[in-house]
Amino acid sequence: MTYSLKRFLGRSKESKEMRKFLAVVKHEYKKIVLKWAFLIGTLLLPLIASLFAVVPAIIFSLKGEPTRIAIVDASGRIAPRIERNLTAEKITAKAEKSARDSMSNVSLTQQDQIKRGSEQMGSFFVFSNFDPIGLSLEDIRGDLMGKISQGVLDGYLIVPENYGSADAIFEFRSRKAGDFVSGGSFRDAVNDAVRSQRLADAKISEETLRELSQNVNFDEKGLDEKGAERDSDGVMAASFVIGLMIYITLAIYGQAIMAAVVEEKETRIAEILFSSARPFTLMLGKLVGVGLAGLTQLGIWIGSVLVILAVITSQTGIAELLPKMPVITPLMVVCFFVFFIIGYFIYASIFALIGSMVTTVQEGGQFAFPPIMLMLIGFYFSFVVIRDPNSSLSFWVSIAPFLAPITMPVRILAEMPPFWQIALSVLVNGAAIVGLVWLAARVYRTGMLMYGKRATIPEVWKWIRAS
Amino acid sequence: MIDSPSLRVEHVSKRFGEFTAVDDLSFEVRPGRVFGFLGPNGAGKTTTIRMIVGITAPDSGTVELFGQHMSAEMQDRIGYLPEERGLYKKMKIVDQLRYFAALKNVSGAEADKRIDFWLDRMKLSEWKSKKTTDLSKGMQQKIQFISTVLHDPDLLILDEPFSGLDPVNVEFMIEVLAEFKTKEKTIMFSTHQMETAERLCNDILLINKSKKVIGGSLREVKESYGTNLIALRMTGGESVLDDKSIVTKAIVHADEIEVHLTDGADPQLLLRRLVEGGSTISKFEEIEPSLNDIFIEKVSG
Repeated sequence: MTYSLKRFLGRSKESKEMRKFLAVVKHEYKKIVLKWAFLIGTLLLPLIASLFAVVPAIIFSLKGEPTRIAIVDASGRIAPRIERNLTAEKITAKAEKSARDSMSNVSLTQQDQIKRGSEQMGSFFVFSNFDPIGLSLEDIRGDLMGKISQGVLDGYLIVPENYGSADAIFEFRSRKAGDFVSGGSFRDAVNDAVRSQRLADAKISEETLRELSQNVNFDEKGLDEKGAERDSDGVMAASFVIGLMIYITLAIYGQAIMAAVVEEKETRIAEILFSSARPFTLMLGKLVGVGLAGLTQLGIWIGSVLVILAVITSQTGIAELLPKMPVITPLMVVCFFVFFIIGYFIYASIFALIGSMVTTVQEGGQFAFPPIMLMLIGFYFSFVVIRDPNSSLSFWVSIAPFLAPITMPVRILAEMPPFWQIALSVLVNGAAIVGLVWLAARVYRTGMLMYGKRATIPEVWKWIRAS
Repeated sequence: MIDSPSLRVEHVSKRFGEFTAVDDLSFEVRPGRVFGFLGPNGAGKTTTIRMIVGITAPDSGTVELFGQHMSAEMQDRIGYLPEERGLYKKMKIVDQLRYFAALKNVSGAEADKRIDFWLDRMKLSEWKSKKTTDLSKGMQQKIQFISTVLHDPDLLILDEPFSGLDPVNVEFMIEVLAEFKTKEKTIMFSTHQMETAERLCNDILLINKSKKVIGGSLREVKESYGTNLIALRMTGGESVLDDKSIVTKAIVHADEIEVHLTDGADPQLLLRRLVEGGSTISKFEEIEPSLNDIFIEKVSG
């Protein structure tokens, strides 16, 4: 490729080949940007992203039907406490607390999130009295079962007489056994009630207990290398968003390249193009044109996010509720774009190579799996980087070719690595680009004129070796 | 200077692995003339054309255009219409034509002017802002032709330009090509349709199995074949036709006899013998073999 690049640049002085190159760039750019799909995609993705953020909250805020429970309590001490623990105000307060927790913490496992989310749902309960006097335990059970099967009751709890001892069994039977939300809240309430009663029995007042069991005020903030405080929650959220955004854009535009290459091969336009300009000019023009379209979209997204954030913070008082945004310096922004461009050229040349091997877009789709997989691995490794940006694993994955375009921006946001590491990453990945573009150009030159059948790997190898 | 060839192909060979697609092929194409490049499928026509337009390079031999070695710069002076041609499906006609013109280094304003001119000539002006998928196959073919001539090329290379066109459009294209010919442009086209080639070509080259079979001006080619076939209508003196020293074969058709002369036999000698033999001759015509006959003989022989 050094040879063809030299020839390419050498001719560009004569500006003829350069003009053709620019014509290809313009053509590819317009072909994408002046389409409805681009406009819709540009508007839709932020919408979908915000839906992902809002919809679960809305769904979980919907209240379920009240659960009707009868409590059989011979002692008469536990039942009132349970009822007090499950008043609407208490449940709401608890839901709010868990909502605050989950909003500021993106690194939670999914299971945790579901659990927290469902606590936000605020299940509520209706209690009915049941007078057990003079009835045997069997009779009580039979009576309650009858009520449950009639549908006037959803469940019952039998509080044992020896509620204070360790082997006491609280019998809870419910028709809504699958409703882990109510189940969980109810269990918590029973536990709280019994604990309070045990404490009361031990002559420790509620007041004292509350004072003793108060949570410490845990003020957690990350430090950057200069020792300045940063809000770690905001950093995590922003790193995650950046990683996702780069991954999505790379995947979309890589496949756009592939589709464009396949179209020209399928319609045999390649033959006309190759009789007008060098294959290398055509391929590079295509990569740059589609890449600029990608940058345009990414720019619109990042720009609109910044504007929306600015509007929200200035117009309302929500600013304090939102996790504090990490400080983004212009240098960081430059780094993001540099790594986006690097990643784009790496993956786009792979997709161009695949496109010139196959005969239809559908066929290309099957072969798109390896590069998509590589990107996904990069995206998954960004979680490792978010958790500990300074570990040696984070170092290696942010240097490694194919992974760095996604992991390095995440790492830069999480914590600015030393400059030499960024430079090394750029160098390693730059070398990967040179190799891949060289490879893709060779396959492109031959593959685009091969009609009818998909090229096999040995064939492609032969094209690469033939000068 | 009219006689100096605009395209000179010298000892060009191209191999794909074990397979030799073009074997030591040499020919010249002159300006102001139409050059017919003939041969059966798989003879190596498309491979040869691809080397001329600079899509691939020959393994050995040279391609010279307008006295210069073939290079990327020369591509702007060639208009190439491939046999397997296509257009962007979902793109406006005018945008595609602009793109193809830009790739041949035609400035935007000049391209727009020429696009309007050619669309008007092809009676396709109202389709300017339509997409390819809205056009019929024949219309698409005309658009493809426009894309070939937008940069006013000096050498026009058309691979099977008439296939798929209706007769009206074939006539129209022939008219356009004739115009190029009068402007001293060089036109080279490949075809299977021998009637068209016979009508249009000044020079022909027939290749088969990657090698040149016959080439030269249409006149020369025909003359080298022309004098051993005679159409005869006569009464009496049939016995003369049995003379194996002059006639190899006499095929009796409904109202005339097709006489095949032996190699080197003089038709005038036959005529004299017939008259001496007492025949009444109403028709005696030396028949030129059609290009089709030559093609079939050379390719199957």
